[in-house]
Amino acid sequence: MSTFRVEPQLLADKSALVVGVGGLGCPAALALVRAGVGRVVLCDDDRVEAANLHRQILFDERDVGRPKLDAAFDTLRARGGTEAGILRVHGRLLPDTARALVRDVDVVLEGSDNFATKFLAADACQLEQRAVVHGAAIRWHGTAWLVPPGGAPCYRCLFEDVPAGAQQGCSEAGVMGPVVGFLGALMADLALRWLTGDASAAGSILSYDGKRDRLRTTAVPARRDCPLCGQRRIAELIESAYVSGICTA
Amino acid sequence: MEVTVRIPTPLRSLTGGEEAVKLSGATVREVIDGLEKAHPGMKDRLLDDKGVRRFVNIYVGEEDIRFLDGLDTALESGQEISIVPAIAGG
Ligand SMILES: [Zn+2]
Repeated sequence: MSTFRVEPQLLADKSALVVGVGGLGCPAALALVRAGVGRVVLCDDDRVEAANLHRQILFDERDVGRPKLDAAFDTLRARGGTEAGILRVHGRLLPDTARALVRDVDVVLEGSDNFATKFLAADACQLEQRAVVHGAAIRWHGTAWLVPPGGAPCYRCLFEDVPAGAQQGCSEAGVMGPVVGFLGALMADLALRWLTGDASAAGSILSYDGKRDRLRTTAVPARRDCPLCGQRRIAELIESAYVSGICTA
Repeated sequence: MEVTVRIPTPLRSLTGGEEAVKLSGATVREVIDGLEKAHPGMKDRLLDDKGVRRFVNIYVGEEDIRFLDGLDTALESGQEISIVPAIAGG
């Protein structure tokens, strides 16, 4: 029987940062480690809760209450990851640490549950010329897209700025385990393609509808007046620029 | 001008689950007004007092209406309008 996989030696000297080890980050990190990405850096500040288990596939009942990164590390080690290949950054991605963290890897996978972190990851990657895969899921719906170094189109071409005002919470809106699992795998797919030299997915956002099993590709044009990749360039990360509610639908 | 508006999953609670709505209108603005009449509450999710909400994008075919004439973008029969909202979560 033949198997199709990316040759591990192509990935052994590659690295990825996974921001948010939740419903998206868990399957994405597992796929990256299993594919042979040499260094996978995990960034999260949460502990495992029982309500996470239906979708956060690196954790089980015994992990409830543990820091997510420690539980994820143990599972990834048990599934073929090496001690040196899985790094833990306990804490949120913050304006004063984001640039150094993204600079240190080849690609960033951002599956955060809040807009502040999404915009921060987008900005830090643009400033450090790193590729980023954005992922999001809520209820039966999710999106994923790859922004190559230099952006254009980037996250701010599409969504401009951190939304102000009350946002609907994730816990309140909920997310279906299989839907978020699919999106996490799709994020890893986009990242692995990027790491092996395929940038063809850039420029389009993928939207998945889990109730109808439809995946749509929508081209995103770069915006000339985009504050991140366009003429009005963001030159540095400013702490006060990354404050938002948790989720929106 | 009859067009099809594709409703993203997060807004389908307003359309009784419908994923696509057929409406008539000469411009995007007219179609959104029609959408509001048929499914009250929709307009507020798409527009604020400055126009299209920042974290919502409206496309006619493959084109973002920001690059066309915004809400005054003229429509042709059979065109498809897509709404792409920003989401966070996972
Ligand atoms: Zn941009």
